Amino acid sequence: MMNRLRRLSFYPVLLVVYAILLVPVVVVIATSFTVQSSPTLPTNGVTLEWYNTLFQNFRLRNAMVVSVIVATATAILSGIIGTITAFGFVRSDIRAKETLATIMLLPLMISPVITGVAFLRFSSHLSIPRGLPRIVIAHSVLALPFVFLIVRSRLLTFDERLEDASMALGANKWETTVNVTIPIIGPALLAGMLMGFVISFGEFTATQFLITPQTTTVPIIIFNQIQTGLSPEVSALATTLVAVMIIVSVIGDRLG
Amino acid sequence: MKFGAVTLPDVSVPEWVRGRSSPKLLVGLGLGWLTLFFIAPVIVLFVESLNFGGGDLFANYRDALSGVYLETLGRTLYYALITTVVCLVLGYTIAYFIAFKAKRQFAMLALVLLPLWIAIIIRYFGVSLFFLPTGPVQQLFGTDFGVLFTTRGVVIGLVSALLPFAILPMYNSIQSIDDELIYASEVLGATPLYTLRTVIIPLSLSGVVAAALFVYILAAGSYLAPALLGGPADFMMANVIEQSFTYDLDLAATMSVVFTVTLLILIGLFNHYANISEVLSDL
Amino acid sequence: MLEVKNLTKYYDDLLAVDDVSFRIEEGEFATLLGPSGCGKSTTLHMIAGLVEATSGTVHLRGNDVSDTEPYNRNIGLVFQHSALFPHMTVKENLRYGLKMQEFDGDHDDQIAKYLEMVQMTDHADHKPGELSGGQQRRISFARALVYEPDILLLDEPLTGLDRVLREEMRNEIREIQQEVDVTTLSVTHDQSEALSMSDKVIVMNEGRKEQAGAPQELYEEPETQFVAEFLGQSTKFEGKVAANDPPMVRASNQEIQLASDIDTDRLDGDSLSLYVRPEKINISTAEKANGTSNTFVGTVSHVEYLGHRAELEVTLDDETTVTAFGNATEEYAVGDEIAVQFDPEGVTIV
Repeated sequence: MMNRLRRLSFYPVLLVVYAILLVPVVVVIATSFTVQSSPTLPTNGVTLEWYNTLFQNFRLRNAMVVSVIVATATAILSGIIGTITAFGFVRSDIRAKETLATIMLLPLMISPVITGVAFLRFSSHLSIPRGLPRIVIAHSVLALPFVFLIVRSRLLTFDERLEDASMALGANKWETTVNVTIPIIGPALLAGMLMGFVISFGEFTATQFLITPQTTTVPIIIFNQIQTGLSPEVSALATTLVAVMIIVSVIGDRLG
Repeated sequence: MKFGAVTLPDVSVPEWVRGRSSPKLLVGLGLGWLTLFFIAPVIVLFVESLNFGGGDLFANYRDALSGVYLETLGRTLYYALITTVVCLVLGYTIAYFIAFKAKRQFAMLALVLLPLWIAIIIRYFGVSLFFLPTGPVQQLFGTDFGVLFTTRGVVIGLVSALLPFAILPMYNSIQSIDDELIYASEVLGATPLYTLRTVIIPLSLSGVVAAALFVYILAAGSYLAPALLGGPADFMMANVIEQSFTYDLDLAATMSVVFTVTLLILIGLFNHYANISEVLSDL
Repeated sequence: MLEVKNLTKYYDDLLAVDDVSFRIEEGEFATLLGPSGCGKSTTLHMIAGLVEATSGTVHLRGNDVSDTEPYNRNIGLVFQHSALFPHMTVKENLRYGLKMQEFDGDHDDQIAKYLEMVQMTDHADHKPGELSGGQQRRISFARALVYEPDILLLDEPLTGLDRVLREEMRNEIREIQQEVDVTTLSVTHDQSEALSMSDKVIVMNEGRKEQAGAPQELYEEPETQFVAEFLGQSTKFEGKVAANDPPMVRASNQEIQLASDIDTDRLDGDSLSLYVRPEKINISTAEKANGTSNTFVGTVSHVEYLGHRAELEVTLDDETTVTAFGNATEEYAVGDEIAVQFDPEGVTIV
């Protein structure tokens, strides 16, 4: 009885928290189907017309393509760099390891605005081509800490005796890494890359400094639309973003 | 050389790579990339904030640390504090519930993680839609409870976006408390509340510290929450930096330095009381 | 044939393996036996090449492999916890070594042959996670042998298995080893395992080699105190030389007669350790004890009934404890007076 009451007392808080967490996204998705001309809940009926307009919007289609390309490139780039670095950290004897590991986490601690501004200036100094290259590099920096943490964590629990077994069986270190270590830590690697994709896909704050009229990403467009005028089209765009992210997660899950 | 089902000719791994792939070099790759594309740019920016050639090295800082900008800094730190406190309280409650009382822990955790996959901008968008005249709150109640484009809006948005970052580390550390310790406490006669106070909270402190750190840093550096959900009076450091970037680069650089240094000082102070590297290594 | 010379390993200041040398002939089954921490696993890992020796050499079939990487030594290694690749099926686990060694011969045939040998043919397409501990152990044997290595190394192969399984596998391992006729070196802390399975046992303690030889040799004629006390049970007497012809030692307030061929002048007169195995001790009631040599009278201090016999501990006047075996059918009670006797030939001096 007391236990039941105690459980009950949690429910209001649970409700509030899960509402705070989930309602915003639900609202966005819901308003994309409304028949009215401004984003309201579709209490009067549902329609797909906003998706239609979206689909016919050339600029938006472009942005979608750019976002996907950038996110994929970021996933791959940060995946490779993060994994290699994680291996180095776990398998080495460097004295200042902990401090250096903290450096890997720096991008998390500095506001993306500063990262964006700094990188913009710097990339002009270095003549890094505008558009895709700049955006991909900046995103890879932002995603790196996540990939690094995830892969490093998995490597720490990896049974190194499997590598010993592989070497006793005749495989050298490279063959061992490719045939034994990587396949086994694969899921973690994939999770890291997935994180990289998601972070890149939704990134706005640093990206706003690095886009060009020809190369712009979906979050930038969403932001601009919100500022200029709200129509359910924006909701539809946002919902499409959500859909892409869910699809990618599912794919990632299947692969893992 | 054999890779799985494929036998590659032995030239495929160049000697120079093979000989040089010592762990130290591997570490160097990641650190190098970051140094080149992150640390160097930031340092350059910071250097630009110093007024070389104009006599007074810190001329820009005089502007940056005055009036409006100082207010903004204070506001930023304050909003971040409120957000952190709210997230810690709500988050700990949820973490505690999921760890101890939930029947389907996995599902409940998944629901907490779900929003993380969705771009923050969309979640803020959702919050604003929720409170807009066209949204459900105003439609139902006729008022937005003073949320839209005010401080409340910003904090609600921040909490909504950052709760998962608070819940996860706290859940992790609560979860890892040995069940037997709880049983022992119960057997010795402690009420659940007392056990919570004297056993659970102290043992899950590292998670709380981690949560506080994440939420505070992310909240303080937020650009989108004030931009989408706040009024002009709610602008935080990130917005001010972005604004000034277009017309006064030196100011933007200076404020970046001020902001980062302030944050680092706060983290340093925090570290004094709660050893952060221990916390991070628990992750 | 394996030859290890002066193998030494330092971990910073810690001496883990101290100048160990031994030799194993082709086809022999040898075991490194010793308590935890004696350096036997480290020695095995150095022979495998997984740990670099501080000094010393390893020769396999005449070749100096001391500086060769493990993947070039053509060894087979069975790990303590199997270490099967979880992401590959049983068949793929076996195929791995064949591919890496570029084995000359039909791979599928080899795999089939060795799976058959360990009686796991039905599980060829299963993943290790689907197998029991004992089954995994069998597969790890097959994996180590399938490419016909020069030597088979076993790292505590029976640890972690329950007693019944352990005895089954003991026999199977020996059978397989003899069928394949591969030189084998095993590492264990379990003496019955070592004594029952090996042609040769090498006892190690605190990094050093204590003694090497056939199991019976070590048991009957231990050369060091450690070996005498580590293998099996025995009663220990400490005493001084008393006479030379016939050789007598004074211990526990009595004179013990030793085997006639022992020259007591050669021994360290003041402190000798004598060992007597329980199976060499005859027990009888105190009255029946007559004047035969080496008879001690004491009180039963502990009785353990083991089904096939009783194990007794008898305490003598000077607190020396004698371990002896008694009939399972007789009743021994703590506090009974009892006489223990042993022949001079049954006394071992170290």
